[in-house]
Amino acid sequence: MPDSQPDSSHSDSNLSQNEPKIPLRVEFSGGLELLFSNQRSHRITLPSTVPHGDGTTKPTDITYLIDWLRRNLLKERAELFTDGATVRPGILVLVNDSDWELEGEGDYQLRPGDEIVFISTLHGG
Amino acid sequence: MPRKSKFDKSKTCIKCKTARGNIVIRHAVYCKTCFTPLVVTKYKRCLDPHINAAPDGQRRSTLKASGNLLIGLSGGLGSTVLLDITSRCYFSTKSSTEDGRKGGKAHPKNDRVWKQASVCFVDTSRAFSEGVTKDRSEDIRAMVEQHKEFEFIVLRLEDAFDISWWKQLGGYVPSSDIRANLANEDLVITEAHLQSSDPVASLRSYLSSLPTATAVRSSINTLARLLLLHTARSMQCSHLLLGTSLTSLSISLINSIAQGGGFNVLEESFEEWTPQIARSAQDASSDSPHLAGGVCTVRVVRPLRDIGMKECAAWAWWNGLQVVGKDRTFDPDGKQTIGGLTKDFIVGLERDYPSTVSTIARTCAKLAPKNEPDGQCIVCERPAQRGIQDWKSRISIRSLEPPSPHPPHVASDDPPPISLTPHLCYACHTTLISRSSRSTVQNGAEASLAPLPVWTRSALVESDAADVMGTKRLVDHEDMRNAIGEFLLHD
Repeated sequence: MPDSQPDSSHSDSNLSQNEPKIPLRVEFSGGLELLFSNQRSHRITLPSTVPHGDGTTKPTDITYLIDWLRRNLLKERAELFTDGATVRPGILVLVNDSDWELEGEGDYQLRPGDEIVFISTLHGG
Repeated sequence: MPRKSKFDKSKTCIKCKTARGNIVIRHAVYCKTCFTPLVVTKYKRCLDPHINAAPDGQRRSTLKASGNLLIGLSGGLGSTVLLDITSRCYFSTKSSTEDGRKGGKAHPKNDRVWKQASVCFVDTSRAFSEGVTKDRSEDIRAMVEQHKEFEFIVLRLEDAFDISWWKQLGGYVPSSDIRANLANEDLVITEAHLQSSDPVASLRSYLSSLPTATAVRSSINTLARLLLLHTARSMQCSHLLLGTSLTSLSISLINSIAQGGGFNVLEESFEEWTPQIARSAQDASSDSPHLAGGVCTVRVVRPLRDIGMKECAAWAWWNGLQVVGKDRTFDPDGKQTIGGLTKDFIVGLERDYPSTVSTIARTCAKLAPKNEPDGQCIVCERPAQRGIQDWKSRISIRSLEPPSPHPPHVASDDPPPISLTPHLCYACHTTLISRSSRSTVQNGAEASLAPLPVWTRSALVESDAADVMGTKRLVDHEDMRNAIGEFLLHD
C-alpha cells in the first residue's frame, strides 16, 4: 500500500533499555487519520510484555495497542475510535494485510515488524 | 467461555482452497486473489441486468445503454469504490488483445456501454452556517481527475432553490415566489412577487423551518437525490449509479421505513425515475434513444448493494484508493437523528451478527406495496400512495372547522387557500410537519414560511388541481384534554 506521507515515530515512555521491544507500523485510513493529527502512517515501539492485572504480565497484544494508541496518539473524539477495550464497530483492522478476525482479534500477540491497519468504514456511500 | 470463531472452518480460502485467507466475509474466508473477482462479480450481477433498455431474459446479449451515465460521488467509501470498479469494468482503456476480449477493436461487442460518463458531486457545505463543514469539492475533483474518462460536475445543495439552475435544465419557472406554511398540517401555500432571492438563504430558511433534526437530514438527502436525477435527465443519462453498499442500503431501508417511507421501500434499492409528466412534455418531441413513450426515464442503480462496507474498505485499501470522506461522521447533530441512531445500530449488528444485515436487505426486497401508486410526490418525486389524508383523518382525533359565515350555495369572495398536502407522499408530509419534544422550530404562527425547491414550485404551478384546503383539522393536546376533561379522574 503506497503512502506519500512520511511516518511519524513514537515509542512507549515506559520502555527500559534492556527490555525486548516490538517495532510496529500502524496505518490509519478511511477518515480515521483525522483523529490522529491527520497522519496516516506511524512507526511505534512497544514493550514485548505489558502488565496484566494483579502484578502479572502478558505478551503485548492488539488490545494493548488499541489502548496505547488511544492514550498516546489519539487527538480527539476517543468514542470514534474505541468502544470499551476494542475498536468501535465499523472499523476494519488488518494485521499484515489479513483481517484480524482470522488472527484472534484483540488477542493477537504482536511481533516485531508487524503492520497493523485501522480502516474506518463509517464514511458511508 | 471461549468466544465463537468469526469464520466457519479453516483459515484457507473457500474459493481456491489453497491460499491462506485474508478476509472474512459473513463467516466465509477469502484470499486476496479471489476477493477481487468476487466483488466484481457481485457488482456486475447487480448492474448488468439493468443496462439494456429491454431485459434480455435468458439470452445474454451485448450490453448497450440507451443514454449516458452519471455517477453520484459523495467522497465516501462506497462511492469511491463504485467509481473505481466502474472505471475498471466498463471504461478500461486496455486494447482488445491486452484484456483478452475477442473480435478486435471495431467489434460492436467492444464498444463502450455508455457513450459519455460523468461524475457528479453535490456539495452540502453551505447548508449549515460557516465553519461547520468544509467544501471538499476540490479534493474530490483531484480524485476524479485520475480517471480521464469521466467528466466532473459540481452541484451545490442550494441549486435546489436556484431559479437560474432550473432554467438551465429547461425547467418551468413560476412568475411568483411560492412558500409553504409548515406550522400546521395543511401546509398552506402563499404566493408573493418573485424577488431575486439568494439560493443559500432560501436553503437555510427551508432547513431551519423543518421540525426535527431527522427531517433536516432526510431533506438534505432528498434534495441531493433530486439534484442528481434532474442533472442526469438534462444530460440524457439513462443510468444514475450510487455507491450504496449492502450496509448503507440496510441503514437507509430501516431509516426510510421508520420515517413513513414504507410505500417506497423498493425505490430504496432500485428505482426507475420519471420526472413529472407536465415538465417532461417538452422532452416528448425529442428523439433521444432513451426516451420511451416520450418520457425520459433514469434508472437509479446501486451496484454495490450486495457488497458490505467491510468489503468496500478492504477493496479501497488493497487498491490504494484515497477516500476523501464525509464531514458528517464528525457532525455531532447527526447522532440525534433516526438515521444516525439506525446507522449505529446496523453497524454494531454487522460486527456481532454479520449475516443479519444482508437479511434486512433481502427481506425488504420481497416487500411490495399493497395499493397502486397515485401519482408522484412533488417534493421527493417518488410514487405516492392514494388516500393518505383520508387514512390520516381516520386514525387521528379531529374536529370540524367552525361553520362558514356563507350558506353552502353562496361562494365566498376569498379564493380557497391552496394546500401542499394533497401533493405529498406520506413520508414527505410527515417530514415537514412531524414535531417531537425536541423540535427545532417553534409551533404555531411563529414558524416562518418556508421556501420550496424549484421542482416543487414548478409542479405546484403546473398542477391543474389547485386543491381546496380540507375542512378538518388536527386537534391539539389542549383541545383534546378539554373535550374529555369531565371524564378524567383526578389524582
